[in-house]
Amino acid sequence: MATLIEAETPDVLGPAAPKRGGGGVGRYILVRFLLIFPTIFILVTLVFFLMRITGDPITAALGGRLPQDQLDARIHEAGYDRPILVQYFEYLGQIATGNFGTTLSDRRPVVEMLATFGTATLELAINSLVVALLIGIPLGMIAAHRRDRTPDALLRFFAILCYATPVFFAGLLLKLTFSVALGWLPVSGRASTNTELAMSQLAAPSGIYWLDALRSGNYQALGDIAAHSVLPAVALGLLTAGVFLRLVRTNLIGTLGKDYVEAGRSRGVSEFRLVTKHAYKPALIPIITVMGLQIALMLGGAVLTETTFEWKGLGFQLAQYLTARDFVAVQGIVMLLAVIVAVTNFVVDIVAAIIDPRVRY
Amino acid sequence: MAINKKALRCAIALAGVSAFALTACTGPSGGTPSNGASGTASTIAYGTTDKVTALDPAGSYDNGSFMVMNQIFPFLLNSKPGGADPVPDIAESASFTKPTEYTVKLKADLKWANGHTLDSKDVKFSFDRQVKIKDPNGPSSLLTNIDSISTPDAQTVVFTLKQANDQTFAQILSSPAGPIVDDEVFPADKLLSDEDIVKAKAFHGQYTIESYNKNTLVSLKPYADYKGVLDKAANGGATIKYYTDQSNMKLDIQQGNLDVANRSLSATDIEDLKKDSKVKVHVGPGGEMRYIVFNYNVMPFGAKTADADPAKAHAVRQAVAHLVDRQAIADQVYKGTYLPLWSNVPSGFVGANESFKELYGEDGKPSEDKAKQVLSDAGVSTPVTIKLQYNPDHYGKSSGDEYAMVKDQLEKSGLFKVDLQSTEWVTYNKASKADTYPVHQLGWFPDFSDSDNYLTPFFPKGGFMNNHYSNAEVDQLIAKQLTESDKATREKDIQDVQKLLAEDISTLPLLQGAQVAVAGASVKGVESTLDASFKFRLGSVSK
Amino acid sequence: MSDTTTAALQPTASRKAPLLDRLPVTSHIRQSVGLQRTMLLIGVSLTGLFLLAAVFAPLLAPYGYAQISDAAGTFPAQAAPGGKHPWGTTVGGYDVLSRVLWGSQTAATVIVVSVAMSIFVGVALGLLSGYFGGWLDRILVVIADAIYAFPSLLLAIVMSIVISQGQSSFWGGILACSISITVVFVPQYFRVIRAETIRLKAEPFVESAMVVGASSWRIMGRHIFKNATRTLPLIFTLNSSEAILTLAGLGFLGFGIEPTSAAEWGFDLNKALADTTSGIWWTGVFPGVAIVLSVLGLTLVGESMNDLNDPRLRGRRRAGSKRTGGKAEKAGKP
Repeated sequence: MATLIEAETPDVLGPAAPKRGGGGVGRYILVRFLLIFPTIFILVTLVFFLMRITGDPITAALGGRLPQDQLDARIHEAGYDRPILVQYFEYLGQIATGNFGTTLSDRRPVVEMLATFGTATLELAINSLVVALLIGIPLGMIAAHRRDRTPDALLRFFAILCYATPVFFAGLLLKLTFSVALGWLPVSGRASTNTELAMSQLAAPSGIYWLDALRSGNYQALGDIAAHSVLPAVALGLLTAGVFLRLVRTNLIGTLGKDYVEAGRSRGVSEFRLVTKHAYKPALIPIITVMGLQIALMLGGAVLTETTFEWKGLGFQLAQYLTARDFVAVQGIVMLLAVIVAVTNFVVDIVAAIIDPRVRY
Repeated sequence: MAINKKALRCAIALAGVSAFALTACTGPSGGTPSNGASGTASTIAYGTTDKVTALDPAGSYDNGSFMVMNQIFPFLLNSKPGGADPVPDIAESASFTKPTEYTVKLKADLKWANGHTLDSKDVKFSFDRQVKIKDPNGPSSLLTNIDSISTPDAQTVVFTLKQANDQTFAQILSSPAGPIVDDEVFPADKLLSDEDIVKAKAFHGQYTIESYNKNTLVSLKPYADYKGVLDKAANGGATIKYYTDQSNMKLDIQQGNLDVANRSLSATDIEDLKKDSKVKVHVGPGGEMRYIVFNYNVMPFGAKTADADPAKAHAVRQAVAHLVDRQAIADQVYKGTYLPLWSNVPSGFVGANESFKELYGEDGKPSEDKAKQVLSDAGVSTPVTIKLQYNPDHYGKSSGDEYAMVKDQLEKSGLFKVDLQSTEWVTYNKASKADTYPVHQLGWFPDFSDSDNYLTPFFPKGGFMNNHYSNAEVDQLIAKQLTESDKATREKDIQDVQKLLAEDISTLPLLQGAQVAVAGASVKGVESTLDASFKFRLGSVSK
Repeated sequence: MSDTTTAALQPTASRKAPLLDRLPVTSHIRQSVGLQRTMLLIGVSLTGLFLLAAVFAPLLAPYGYAQISDAAGTFPAQAAPGGKHPWGTTVGGYDVLSRVLWGSQTAATVIVVSVAMSIFVGVALGLLSGYFGGWLDRILVVIADAIYAFPSLLLAIVMSIVISQGQSSFWGGILACSISITVVFVPQYFRVIRAETIRLKAEPFVESAMVVGASSWRIMGRHIFKNATRTLPLIFTLNSSEAILTLAGLGFLGFGIEPTSAAEWGFDLNKALADTTSGIWWTGVFPGVAIVLSVLGLTLVGESMNDLNDPRLRGRRRAGSKRTGGKAEKAGKP
């Protein structure tokens, strides 16, 4: 949710560092690329030590039924009582060789676990991004154009309301309305039982259900998947739509006031063309930037959406694994999230730098 | 005006979204779990919020994993729906042939679903493996009484026990430590992943696993060559759907997307479902227990406190026992899904009595007068300050409400001031065993269905709770009943232990959980499997 | 801090304007017109309501947050709104109205503690990092970026598990939540302050102060700090709303404060999930609406302040305006 500020105070966060002379795009990309690694390293290290402070998975699982000496024996067996630095370097060694281990609380290879839940979260993120764009951008354009008038007021209020409503509360209301009261849409899950079974029997599933359904030509399943996708996508999408709406509005107002737009206006270019053609394109740069940053917001909001809608994805799973003190699983998920976030930021920065060379430093 | 055209385009875009939603609605909303039109018997959809740790019996020790194992693995001894007494499952006979020798004869011509032979080698392999792997998450600690296992022939297994006449041994063979696995598939020294087990079809139960999406959806098919004690599956197959949120499971059972919802729905959900004519709420005996632990060292007047006085400490425990109103908690917080528990051994188990009801309160009602009396007799000045701890995340969301009521009940009398606090589970666990909490909440789910499972883990040497309770007479009686082969004598011993425990109050039993399963109105057979074995057998259910 | 804020925002305003008019929010109200003023005023009144409830919860709430019985006996479970319990009771017998009111106190406390800690830590680190630069700067920036980029709620969950190891007493719970939120916020303050510091360091007046021989600390304290903090009221407001959402999210996922220690909206909403599907709407709707309204209020204030600070977005007072103020004002009250 940090993005709200990012979106609203571009001037404040702009001059992050003094501009350095020289250095081509290539050099900038390289430096920026190399910065990915410390980011990941820091997060992984932080999580490693934080998790060790909080206890061990064996006590979490069996503390309620075994005496302490038996627990200690099991903890010793698993090696959790060794010096923490020894465990840390062992862990670094393992991830350096690509060995991410097996989760402790439900015994799955981490890579496979990440693939399963990661694709679920990805599907949710894509769905809600679509909703957010479909709602946020057109409405933002309307708001910018009708600035300070009734539609603008209502739309901005709507945007803030979207932001102010916690995903789980919005989700609950949506669920009660559309599935309990009206019975139009399913309550929860990614698909109904039959579809889930059909999906699990595919030869090489991508894990993104609608893609798999499309590829296998199973249109009945596709309908089912779509029905299940609507509410979670709307719940999470609305939150982001509010951010997009405000962002589009702010940036359009900025560019609409620019000289060349004024010039266009004075030459008699229609307001519609001004909004959609002249002002829109330059306003797109910050939108693309923030869209990238939205990924982090989406992953965070996804925890709550996934919980509300029984959508078995990464965020929700992370909360579960944390409760179980499953070090291995938590480290795996955090690592993946760190990679996603770092890479997205990298791409966003590069795109921004290519579009607007002044960004480079 | 131009902007109107724009607005129109937006409107179309939005309409597109809702059209997408509308076409979506025409799909099989929610989907019907049964595709029974084609087969003879329809498929049963079962929902739960439990989780599977591992299908490999050596690597898990929890309800969620054991539930699935019960459908797919054989046991030497198992119980039939309706009771908890272990009877031979894939065994023909099983009994003590010498005080320390337990001999099991297997049925002939047993086959795993993959065609491998199931014989005594598999049995020995299964138990040896558990002990050898000693997985941190596994149940190997249940097998400590096994000294060695021999297999005189392909049909015979002899267990040599360390302790003679272990009365719980038959139960242990049907417990989470008891599933038999295929020695040609499972490695002897490490766990096998769920996917590999499914791939290798290493099953011999009422069902085999058709497709496996861990903790999301499992689909089961009846196993034709099943030779165990249970009947052939009454349905054409079953799916197990895993939920994370109780209310989603509740809505699915109401909308007919599930046939059975079990473990666990909240009390509010269950009460609401009772009013719904489309579903039926089935209730069976439960072994789940909620209780309060007194730490003899650090409780008020405990052995390690400044004003240590065993008699006063005892009076404090008795006063608490006089004041708690179990019925009120069961009714208000749990709406009857938990019942008052009046002894350390829950009702329904061998020798269970109501020892606390006899000694404390008035006919099951709390008694302020008696509490006042016992405290003033011991010379305890009131109000006594008690630090009461509970855990909010391990025993269900209602623990907070439960303990708010306990606090209220104790304080209402004016005899106690309760400092109620909660701590997250892992820390709670460590701290409770390290004398940090004077009085605290715990719960128990039995490993197997025998009274001893409520005694031996708890009381000798302070038990796993490490609460420093010690009573030689209790220890001796517990040891005696464990190896007492005469049923009547054993029952008497167990009753005597409960009486002693109620006098001492090492732990204060509060509530006993019922097994609750909610099924569609036309679903049959749920009642019969909700028995004291606490095993849900999908094969009993049909519709 | 507040007077420099106004000075920076309103370079033309007289230094001798009454203090009230120079405070962040009041100055914004004066500055605003029409629609913007309406939004700001709605925001200010919602926020005021929230703060009033927080401060006077002990007086306003009919019962304690963990009270389940009074002289007349134990409260009924899940009683519908009416009579002794105007907003009904929960399954545990808590009075919903009381818990919603007390919940505002919990939320306000968490906001104050977490934002105060974030400002303190973030500003200090940002100043140091921006002023001295070098390796310290680079390391801090990478760490801050790493934390900033990470999904904030997930970070807060991890932190709450680490911190809440001890008992969840009122202050234990509040601190755990606050610190979890602080960890999320610090990088934001750090970035803002650091960027401003770097920008200002190059300004002539700082350089001249250096030439005159003022010590680094004095320069930081006097010049940079004063100027760099001008954007803080804005961030403070927006972070407050974010803090409420994060607290509610933590509570909803079961990583928050227990009901016996404090009233917390997210937790109550989580507990109400089973109720809502059983037609018991009052246990969930009231805390839910409380979250929405308080976040709405704070965000409206923050958003309006942001618009007023940004010359591009400030209400078009003069040029080329086709609207009338009155019309917009009406529209602003949905």
